[in-house]
This record gives sequence, C-alpha cells and structure tokens, in this order.
Amino acid sequence: MDPRYIRNFSIIAHIDHGKSTLADRLLEVTGALSEREMMNQVLDSMDLERERGITIKAHAVRLNYRAKDGELYQLNLIDTPGHVDFSYEVSRSLQACEGALLVVDASQGVEAQTLANTYLALHHNLELIPVINKIDLPVAEPERVREQIEQVIGLDASSAILVSAKQGTGIDEVLEAVVHLVPPPSGNPEAPLRALIFDSWFDPYRGVIILLRVVDGKLRIGQHIRLWANGKVFEVEGLGYQSPKPVACEELSAGEVGFMFANIKTVSDAQIGDTVIDDDNPAAEPLPGFQEVKPMVFAGLYPVESHEHGALRDALEKLRLNDSALNFEPEHSAALGFGFRCGFLGLLHMDIVQERLEREFNIDLITTAPGVRYRVLTRKGEVVEVDNPTKFPSAAEIEHVEEPIFEATIITRDEFIGEILRLLEEKRGVQKKFEYIGTGRVLLVYELPLSEIVLDFYDRLKTVSRGYASLDYHFAGYRPSPMVKLDVLVAGEPVDALSMIVHKDHAYERGKSLIERLRKLIPRQMFEVALQAAIGNKVIARETISAMRKNVLAKCYGGDVTRKRKLLEKQKEGKRRMKRVGKVDIPQEAFLAVLRVGGEEE
Amino acid sequence: MPERCRCWDNGNLAGVYISFPFCSQKCTFCNFASGVFSRGLEERYLRALRAEAARFAWKWLPETVYLGGGTPSRLSGDDLAELLALVPGRPWREATIEAAPGSITPEKARAWAAAGVNRVSLGVQSFVSAELAGTGRKHTAEVVAREVGILRDAGIENFNIDLIAGLPGQTPASWRESLEWLQRLAAPHVSVYMLEVDEDSRLGAEILKGGARYGAARVPAEDEIVELYEIAVDRLEAMGVSQYEISNFARPGRRSLHNLKYWKLEPYAGFGADAHSFDGAVRRQNAETPEEYVERMERGEAPCIAETPARLAEEKFILGLRLREGIRPSPEEWLTFAAPIARLTEAGLLETADGALRLTRRGILLSNEVFQDFIS
Repeated sequence: MDPRYIRNFSIIAHIDHGKSTLADRLLEVTGALSEREMMNQVLDSMDLERERGITIKAHAVRLNYRAKDGELYQLNLIDTPGHVDFSYEVSRSLQACEGALLVVDASQGVEAQTLANTYLALHHNLELIPVINKIDLPVAEPERVREQIEQVIGLDASSAILVSAKQGTGIDEVLEAVVHLVPPPSGNPEAPLRALIFDSWFDPYRGVIILLRVVDGKLRIGQHIRLWANGKVFEVEGLGYQSPKPVACEELSAGEVGFMFANIKTVSDAQIGDTVIDDDNPAAEPLPGFQEVKPMVFAGLYPVESHEHGALRDALEKLRLNDSALNFEPEHSAALGFGFRCGFLGLLHMDIVQERLEREFNIDLITTAPGVRYRVLTRKGEVVEVDNPTKFPSAAEIEHVEEPIFEATIITRDEFIGEILRLLEEKRGVQKKFEYIGTGRVLLVYELPLSEIVLDFYDRLKTVSRGYASLDYHFAGYRPSPMVKLDVLVAGEPVDALSMIVHKDHAYERGKSLIERLRKLIPRQMFEVALQAAIGNKVIARETISAMRKNVLAKCYGGDVTRKRKLLEKQKEGKRRMKRVGKVDIPQEAFLAVLRVGGEEE
Repeated sequence: MPERCRCWDNGNLAGVYISFPFCSQKCTFCNFASGVFSRGLEERYLRALRAEAARFAWKWLPETVYLGGGTPSRLSGDDLAELLALVPGRPWREATIEAAPGSITPEKARAWAAAGVNRVSLGVQSFVSAELAGTGRKHTAEVVAREVGILRDAGIENFNIDLIAGLPGQTPASWRESLEWLQRLAAPHVSVYMLEVDEDSRLGAEILKGGARYGAARVPAEDEIVELYEIAVDRLEAMGVSQYEISNFARPGRRSLHNLKYWKLEPYAGFGADAHSFDGAVRRQNAETPEEYVERMERGEAPCIAETPARLAEEKFILGLRLREGIRPSPEEWLTFAAPIARLTEAGLLETADGALRLTRRGILLSNEVFQDFIS
C-alpha cells in the first residue's frame, strides 16, 4: 500500500471517557463490522477486560475508509492498554502511530490519565486531535472542556470535534480529521526491514503472535527475520491484520500495521518495543526506545492447599506464555510453606494475575502484602536488590537503602484538597506542583514512594475525595530512605510472611496497628499468645491474646451424637485450613492484615 | 407399614426416648426443633407417635423411659397414659417427663405417677425473675418451690432442675441466688447448661448478627460464663450434688440412668420427631420437624431419615470422656491414641489414674479441643 494512503492512530483517554465506544463506532461506520456483529467494546476481548472496562492487551484494527476526497485510506487503529501499570506498553503502541485522538469527557473534563497520556503522545511527536465526547449528556459542558484542554494541556482545541460516540454523532468528522491531520507514515519501503513489536501473545496453534508496525522495508512470508534484542532468527510463517477478524496477507510493507507468526515459542522472545529486522539484510540500528520490562510490585503467592503447589507453578507458567511481564521464582516461607515470589508491573497487573489464577485455574491463593524492590547498599559496598522482606539485610549490615519513587499526578476538586494533602503528607509525598486549572479544579504533582502507593494509597485517595480525584503515576527513580524491617513475632516465633519494610518514622505506628489487627484475627488458643512487633531485637509494640477458656458442647444426649460430631469435624477442618506457626494456628486473613496497616480503620 | 428398627437382645439395658416437640411459646434461648404448632398437628402427631411405638417389635424390656420436648408436661393425663401404655417394662427403673414450671397441678402430678412417671425434669433455667422476664418463661422461684411440693405429695421424689449460665443480665451474684434455691429445694439432680450461641435460637442469632430485642447485649462474656459455670461446680459440690458429667450433677444414687446410656454407648430406641436410636451398631434419626414426621407416618413411610454406622472406637472417647469418671481404654486404644493422649495430658486437659482416662477440670471446658483429637 502506498504510505500516502495509510494513517496509523490511536485513541487516548481517561478511563470511562468513552474510548471503547468510540472505537466501536469507528468500526461500525467504516463497515468493519455490521451492526449485527457489534458486541459492545469489541476490542476488549478478554472477559476480564470487559468486566473491568479496561484494556489490558493492545489491539490493532485495520479500517478501510473512503474519504470525502474520494480516496480509499487504510486506517490502522491501535488500541492501547488503559492503565498506568502498562505505561510502557502504551508508549510502544503510541510509537507505532503518527497521530492520536485525545478523547475527553464533556462533563468530566481533563483527568490525570488524559494528561499523562497526552505527554506520552507529545513525547512521540504524535499529531493530537482533541475530541470532546459525550456531548449528549445533559451535564455536558463542551465549551468549558475546550478551555480546559487549552489551559491545562496547552493544546489548541478551537477545532476540537464534538462527538457523542453513544449516539453516533460526529463520527464522520473524526474519520476525516484522521485522514487530513494525521501525517502519513514516513518510513522507506526500500530500506532494510525494521518493524516495531508493540504487543504479542501466545496462541496454542500458531505459537507467539506478534503485533507490529513496519517502519522501514517489507515483511514477507518465508523471510528470515531476526529479533534485535536476543538475536534469535525465525522464518515468517504467516502475516495478516485484524479487520477486526484476522485476515491473512502475503506482505506488510513500510507504514503498515499487522500481525506475524514465525514459530516463536515464548512471548519472552518477542519483547514489546523490540525491533524485527531482516536476517539476510539487517538494518544497522534498532528502533529507539526499547526497554526490558521490569516488575515494580512484588508479592508471595501461596496455595491455600499445600498440595496445589505444582498446580500453581503450572498455572503461572501458562500465564507467563502470554504475559512476559509476569515474573516468578520459587520461594519458601516458614509460615506459608512453598509458593512463589512474583513480580508485577503494578497493582492492577497483580490483581489480574491473582484473579486469573483463581478463576481460570481454580487455585485458592494466599497472597502476601505487595511490596517493592529496594536497593540496599551494604557496609561491604555491595548493592543488593531486595523485593522480599525476609531477605532484607540486618540493620548492622546496611549503609543505606533506596526506594523506588513515582511521580504522581492528581486532578481533583478544590473542596477535597485539605484531606488529600494530609494523605500525601502521611504517605511521605514531596510536592512538585500545585496548580488551579479552572472551575474549582486543582492539579497536583507529587513524588511518592511506590511502597506507599501499593499499601492503600488509591483506596484512601478515593475515600477522601469521594471518588472525585483522578490519579496517574510513573516511575521517577530511586531515592535514599531510612527503611527498616519490621518483624512480627507470634508466641516468640517470627512469622516471616508478616514481616514488612517500613519507613523508620512509621515503624511504631504501623507495628502497633498490625498487631492490634492480628489480635482480632487470630483466634484464642489453648494458651496465652504474645504478639510482638520488633525492629531487630527491639520490641516496639505488644499485644496478648488470652488463652481460650471454653469450647464445650453443654448438651450432648443420644440424639445429638451425629450432629455434634459434625460440629467437631467442622472445627477441626477450620483449624486444618489455618497455618500453624510454632504452636499457634493462624488464619489466612491474618496474612492479609498487613495490607490494611496504617491509616484508617475500616 | 413403617420399617422396623433392628432390635436388641443384650438384656434389658435399653432406654426409650419419646419426643414431644410442642410448646406454649418458644423460648428465646431455645435452639431445638421444637416450638408452637397448630392444635391439629399436635393431635395428628400423637396418633403417629402411638403408631410408631405400637409397631415397634420389643425384644427387650426398657429399663428407662424419657419423655422429652418441647414441653411434654402439656400432655393430658389420658394422652400420657395411653402413650406410656405402649412401652413395656413397667415399672421402669426411671421414667422421666420434662415439665415447664408453672403448669404442674396436683391432678397432673397424680396422673403422671399413675402413668408410671417417677422423675420430673423441670426447665427452670433461672430462679431470678429479672433474668427470666426476657426469655419467654413466666414462673417465679416461689412457683417452682410450690410445684416441687406438689410432686413430692404425688410420690415423685426424684426431680431435676435445669439452669442456664449466660442468660442476659446474669451476674455472679444473681447466679448464686439461683444456686441457693437448689439447696433450699434439696434438688436431687441439677443440669447446668452454658448458653449455646448459634443461629437456631433467637437470642443466639441476635448475638451473632446484632439486635436489641432479646437482650444479646447483656449476655455475659465468654469468660464470665466460664466463671458462672465454675461457681456452680463448686457450690453444687459443697451442697452434696456432685458433677458426674460436663453439664450434670447429682446427689448419690440420683444420676440420670437414662442419660447415662448415651455416654456409655448403651442402646436406646427413640420415637417421634427428631428422635434418635442406637442399637449398639447403627445410629438412626427420625424426620426432624413434626410436620415431616407426621406426613411420613401418614403416608405409611418409615419415620427414619438417616442411618449412620456408629464409630464405636471414637465415640467411646468423645462420649465417655464427658463423664467425670472418664473411660477405661483397652490396651489397643491406649496404643492407637497414644499421641493425642500424651499431647493432651501435657497440655493439662487430660489426666490418668488407675487405668482410667478423664478430663481435667480445665479439660472439661475445652472438651471440644480434646474430642477433635479423637475423631478422624
């Protein structure tokens, strides 16, 4: 295809601003799907995606559009993941485009994700087309939103397109704008092949399927291709594009977007952001911007039933076939037995993995509190990366500790600012920006330790803002922090799965709050049980669970034998499901108590 | 024709239980399948009950009879006589009827004695009117005292008084008041039940789910109930009423012969709704509600809805250990259960003496923890 008639674009929007509905509408209007075939949100194909209303995987759909100038255009709509956990994937998808529709809800206005994605798009020199959606709502204020886009984002919104994706108004204008405003791809079809991988997944019949954008040269069936990052060579077995159903083709040339399979066995070979080159005629340079995806959030995953350890490993391996960002390695906890230390891109990613393990593989899980990866400089001068509190060196060995810091953007209403600032302060945030952006709205930029974000920040932000705060964040670097390891001792025995790494100044309050929760969660035992929170050898808080006094069936006469026996069996089964540490039976909920430490009581 | 339960031929050691699950009102603490039903159902129930007893093939003479409820003291003298006439073996060593205080008249007492009843179990629960007020009971301590006199006049010297530890508003002082009445009445037998909290009683459900109607908020805490129980054990012992089972206390020679059969794994046959039978090998259960029981009987079906083989090896421990005298395990049993016995002895819940194994005083209150170690 002549690149002059190709347009590659994506849609960026804050969650719920109508990205998927608009995409559906574009498909419908260009005839990619008949109305009868439309299922809401065609592009979110995983059940979980549809349920949560977010996109986890990227998609690329080719639309054939006869524009008002009479020419037939190939429009490639690249749908990007919609959550900050996947911001690297978003940036790769954007890199595959020349333009983007910036969709803003006509009643909600600019939100944190709008802003973050806009910056990402501008970083990739994308042509941005402002689209104000949901103009059919009675509370729509398109003019106010137009002003906001200009003021907050600094984008000329005078020609912003007014759309109701729900009612189908303004769709033609959107398509025309894509044709006329988004630049055609500029690659050279005659140069050596360079194609950008922006997503991949595993198909049981074809192996790994790669979504890519050909930047230079041509990709043909039978061609020997090489993956830049690992140097592995494969032969192209199939090419095609989604329309949105897969359509096979012989060739993809510069500017085009499509999929490829080449008998690649694992998705970790086809890394997002990597460059595909021709093995016989290799390009000299890869495409810019490739990074190894690094997990940011870590947690231990343990089967409730210890015999399911093998099943959990198999399930994790299966998930990893499709999710190269998922990391795991075997781990043993004295309290929880054999499990896996898993690394995730973020909390949503962790949630999704957990949910898929439980839903698709039927494995009951105990998940330890999520944590982050610290960099510890030891007295010996070594740098150790620690993502598991049990491996945190003792205070005497530590020179200093660095923790990952994120830059968080929050947009909220004036009235909630007091509470939000208090929360940010409690979470050790450092203010970078405080700006009124019109009509009682405030833009905040803060540096926040990731460890505080993963604890309960988002939930608490939602609570204090009654839902009227949007949040976006991205990695900003490591910063030295006086972190210490807080241990929990139950009846004198340290319980490894309850250890956590906390800021020195929070240790007392978090330790106290944790063991108070544990006192309520751990049932009385046959003997008195001491609960202690300690840093090193120093106990900083203590609670006591008094001994059980009574567990007795007062009445037991003839009739009751079978019934009473069932009660005993039930009690016994309840104990069996607890984890025994030393002589104390600890219920599973206790291991989750760490999650809710510090901050408000529920 | 209802299916007949298997019969026993191991002498005349067996007992008979007759269930009468009808009450004038449902008490707030009650978690039994008994309560208030229509008069019509009561009549059909009695017919069904008589049919079940009449069809039973007696190959042995019962030595004890127990009429439990519900409130069997509501039965008319004639109905009671007709029912007991179906049970052979009279005069029985022990024939008990459960009675609600406040309903016993001299005529009624004489009718019971005439029908063969020689023991009455009084559902007193408390002698303190303030504690009774909220539970659905209307009697007073004076009423109980008068009715004990009526029973004695009718020749029924043997009686039991039930008390509940853990009623709303109960304190150690009010509890002692109830215990003093036991001495005043020279009760030959006392049962002390710690309040059972579960969804099946209105009070229990309120404690679990919250509410203010039945006094859940004033129910003593678990540790306070333990204290009440301990007070009772000591006070009763001091007045010569010794503990012989977790909840049962008696003067010498006044232990409940019928109830002892349950804990000693002796056989018994049960008639009526939710009645259970044990023939030495199999446990059987009748339909639970009076409606279901009556309907099955009227359709000519067997009233029995469940049969479970008894697990005698385990039941010897979980039932026998309820007795203060404990059990005498066989050499094999000592071996089979060596590990739990050692662990529980170490924990101070079990003790051994002269070849017997029994719960310690602490073990009584934690007996479920002990029993769990003896079931598979």
